[in-house]
Amino acid sequence: MPIEVVLLFAWMLVIAFLAFIACTFEDLESDIGSQSNPNSQVQLAAQVGQINRFFNKAISGEPLSNAMYCVTAGTIAWLLLRQFEPLVPGEEWKAAVLAIPIGVLAATMINMIFSTTSHCGRTAAQKRFEQPIYLDVLYGHLIPIGAHAFMTTFCITCIAYIQSNIGTLSGNPALDHPFALPLLGFIWGITVGAIGSSTGDVHYGAEREFQDRPFGEGKRVVYHGKITRYAECGVRTQKDIAGFCLKFGAPCTGMTFGLIILFENWRSMVGMQLGGFLPALPAFTATGDMAAIFGIVLGLLIVAALMVGNIVFVKWVRKKYGPFVGV
Amino acid sequence: MEPVMMILIVGCVVIGGLLASLGAHLLPVGGAPAAMGTATGIATGTVQIMLGAVMTGLFTAASVATFTDSLLLVSLSGAVGATVMMCVVMFMANIVYAFGCGIVPISGRVDVDPITKEPQAPYRTPQTDGHGVPNVVYVSGAIGGFLAGFAGALMYYALLNYAHFSAGLAAIVALSIFVANAILAAYNIRGTIEGFHDPKFKRLPKALISSFAVSLLCGIVVVLAATILGGAL
Repeated sequence: MPIEVVLLFAWMLVIAFLAFIACTFEDLESDIGSQSNPNSQVQLAAQVGQINRFFNKAISGEPLSNAMYCVTAGTIAWLLLRQFEPLVPGEEWKAAVLAIPIGVLAATMINMIFSTTSHCGRTAAQKRFEQPIYLDVLYGHLIPIGAHAFMTTFCITCIAYIQSNIGTLSGNPALDHPFALPLLGFIWGITVGAIGSSTGDVHYGAEREFQDRPFGEGKRVVYHGKITRYAECGVRTQKDIAGFCLKFGAPCTGMTFGLIILFENWRSMVGMQLGGFLPALPAFTATGDMAAIFGIVLGLLIVAALMVGNIVFVKWVRKKYGPFVGV
Repeated sequence: MEPVMMILIVGCVVIGGLLASLGAHLLPVGGAPAAMGTATGIATGTVQIMLGAVMTGLFTAASVATFTDSLLLVSLSGAVGATVMMCVVMFMANIVYAFGCGIVPISGRVDVDPITKEPQAPYRTPQTDGHGVPNVVYVSGAIGGFLAGFAGALMYYALLNYAHFSAGLAAIVALSIFVANAILAAYNIRGTIEGFHDPKFKRLPKALISSFAVSLLCGIVVVLAATILGGAL
């Protein structure tokens, strides 16, 4: 197999690995800051008389806020790359090593500013329910939020950089993705947020927020707002939650995004390989069409496998857990 | 620009908009209650999960559009990409529900699963509207993802090859039209929906009418932009 093709597959695996890290940290960042859907309970807690020491940041839905950070980081990195790359001809990677972290740092600072205003604004609005703004909660959570957000945005920006240059990096510049770095950052920012919101938050919202309620059942409407306020030792803050969700919810979320990126890139590239498109690249010919057809068929096979997997899994869970026996 | 091409662009945008609206109604959206295991479906908003799925599809569709000029193949690539995304998300959500929270995937709207005929009511927690992603909801979500991905990629292809926008601009315009339709659908859904077996699905015709109006307007604006600005895009 030609070295260009091997390199393409190698870069695909690097991207999938970065995606795993990105989404794991994205879920933890949303847990530490209590962003997204489970925050409705933190918001409700003070209103039902449950004064708490939770961080309350709901900047927006996770997909949109992550897209904003990734586009900010991507745009700054892209501008810096345009400036730095002519300075190091032949060794463009040196420009990326400097440009990407600077862009991500700027996005992280924006995240921390939004976190501060969001937490203070939301908690101040709960004055009538006698919910105080604990300054140690505010200061203590900003650095963990920033650190996790940095990791997420950094990995996504790296993915966008690799994908927009994947052809150049593996020796076939025609294979570079047609979208620019900031647009790829936008795409994966939205996707990483959508996955972090839909998969990871379940572990935080359905389990950790209601840990003193019965395990193994959906959380009833009467429990809403009555969140668990005491930790294994002392009063609970979000720092305890990150440690808990890291054990199961966050890696599962990371795996979801990692699998999606892996399946998507894998089926495209295997399709190209099977269709005879690599490494000759005869675009807009019957070979190109065949590459697309193989990619689609492989995708449909993956979908069918997942559907059967879900049917088997649901059947197994129903048999193992049995009907509802509580009151 | 030739009148045939204008009609083709508007037609693709309108079909894309209508499919986006239909896809949004098929996606199982549980919103905030789903994150607490109080409602069935995916624990996020309609627009958010739709955008995530369509973006993933669009990424692959844009790659495919660089080496094939077939409308059907590009659109199907986007559709399959969005379906893969939805299927992985729903499957992993079920794993987190089952192993992280001990919750069985159960529909809240029907007593018997229309596809597998498994009874639902005995497994449901009282005072909840179902929890997790049961099989009928999973199938509905996969179909919704397929239609939504097809719509996004179809609009992208039309803007790229018929209106001659650049790849980046075509993606942004396709997504903007898509978001408008998804938000309209979200207003119609009002909170949570499980899929084609949900009583709320009967509200679909009204959403399709509004989607048609919005997409037609968007299509005309795209034609105007492509005609007035010509190759400058």
